[in-house]
Amino acid sequence: MTFVVWAYSEAEGVANEVASAADEIAKSVSGSAAVIDLDQERPGVSSPGRKLVLKASSPLADSPELAAEAIFRAAKAAGPSAVLLGATRRGREVASRLAVKMKVGCVSEVFRLKAGAEELQGERNMYAGKFLSTVACRFPCVATLKTGVLPRLAGRQGSVDVIDLGALSPKVRLLGRAGKKAGTVDLKSAKVIVSAGRGVKKKEDLQMIDELARSLGGVLGCSRPLSSDLGWLPEEHHIGLTGLEVHPNLYLAVGISGQLQHIAGIKDSKIIAAINTDKDAPIFQAADYGVVGDLYQIVPAIKKLVSGG
Amino acid sequence: MKIAVCVKHAVDESELRADPSGKPILQGAASKVSTFDKNAAEEALRMKAKSGGEVVIVCVGPAEAKKTIREALAMGADKAVHVVSDASGRDSLATSYLLWKALAKSGPFDAVLCAEGSSDTYEGQVPPMLAEWMALPYAGYASKIELSGSVAKVEQSLEDSSQTLELTVPFVASVVSEINEPRYPTLIQIMQASKKPMEELTPQQLSGPDAPTSLSRVLDTRVQSMNRKKVVFEGAPEETATKLLDALKAEGVIGA
Repeated sequence: MTFVVWAYSEAEGVANEVASAADEIAKSVSGSAAVIDLDQERPGVSSPGRKLVLKASSPLADSPELAAEAIFRAAKAAGPSAVLLGATRRGREVASRLAVKMKVGCVSEVFRLKAGAEELQGERNMYAGKFLSTVACRFPCVATLKTGVLPRLAGRQGSVDVIDLGALSPKVRLLGRAGKKAGTVDLKSAKVIVSAGRGVKKKEDLQMIDELARSLGGVLGCSRPLSSDLGWLPEEHHIGLTGLEVHPNLYLAVGISGQLQHIAGIKDSKIIAAINTDKDAPIFQAADYGVVGDLYQIVPAIKKLVSGG
Repeated sequence: MKIAVCVKHAVDESELRADPSGKPILQGAASKVSTFDKNAAEEALRMKAKSGGEVVIVCVGPAEAKKTIREALAMGADKAVHVVSDASGRDSLATSYLLWKALAKSGPFDAVLCAEGSSDTYEGQVPPMLAEWMALPYAGYASKIELSGSVAKVEQSLEDSSQTLELTVPFVASVVSEINEPRYPTLIQIMQASKKPMEELTPQQLSGPDAPTSLSRVLDTRVQSMNRKKVVFEGAPEETATKLLDALKAEGVIGA
């Protein structure tokens, strides 16, 4: 049996990451990789081989439920050895549903993928990133890939084949969608991030942290309490296990104690720095450079040095 | 309104230590109800407060998971179903199958609520898998659930947008932790929790010929080294600020 890997993500950038992983895996076992588009061919999505465009009576791309059913039907006919998806919120749903439909195993949020003789192997974070696990799943299998860590494939080869899957209808009705607010920060690709935590006493003081971020050429992030409990910043600023995982050159944590869930989101940063009044705060164990002191004194002092110099 | 809340007996990741070889010491490790499951329980209790009915905690886990179930019961749930099964080697496909069968046996339910993921492994696969096994409408990452009659309007929080979905009961949903602030049980509630009905089931009772074997597995787990420099500056603000900036410039992560 020839080894075929399929790659799909609803997000174009992530789709190119998944395509590059599929390409690498396929090459390592002299197999081939194909990229899936739903509803229509996306010119921005690269493929190392064929492109399969799946269509049905109802739009598929917006519905993880239908996306999974469409990929399942196509997979039943073609029999891929592995289906790789991006570990986005939609991607996790598609992958989980697909695993149940195909009655195959599914590994999640993996990176450093390898194809063994009978199984797919990869690594994933465990216990809020405190540990790293090697996981395996027997072929055929489904996997979601950690986003933002893989190279993006560029270019396209091979044919574009449209597969019509007939009538499909969703169980859930999509009433509307609101994009995240304009001016939304792009923390995933930021080189410098300055983040605020519980040490910030009131919402108005965030302006001072934001100004520091800007003066260092960076953007503002926060720990979970500020977005979830206090609602001082929108959810898309939240860095941590259940928020964003970031990997800037500099991550400066201001008034953040350094709970495990927060560290899970920042541990791939090149340099981590922290400002905190409590010299026993766990953030200092996870930081390259720490300043013990009152952020209300340190932050203005840094700002003065940066703007003055 | 009969609402099920799926909870996981999870390793307390903040207490988990590594042995000298770097492996996690899972034997005797502290455990708890998976952090975000409390948000699912809270949401179910709020739904019950509005529409009346019953909240049932459902858990697949080892005998020690009784502790986790009682934690959830203490929040105000009415009763529990415990599928007694050792966790070692069981993947999310097999777990979601057992949950499905347990829900089918103790249901029917109008709503099944889960957390978006567990605090120990954070895979987030069980809720959509459950929806798929049960062939029910599903909304993942719910930040708001509004129920009127048999129709639920759900705000779904995605990376790039938030969506409004409409589902009819019965349905499955997973919630994000922003959806609510879980209540703290009172001492009396904690004491009463151990008296609430808890039905025990075994995987053998629930598994049919369609039961999946665990096809994914963990080969090896080791501690991630935190190779950070841990240089700490103390002193006057102007002095420490200067030292910090100098260090960051030397690292080349900010402009000189």
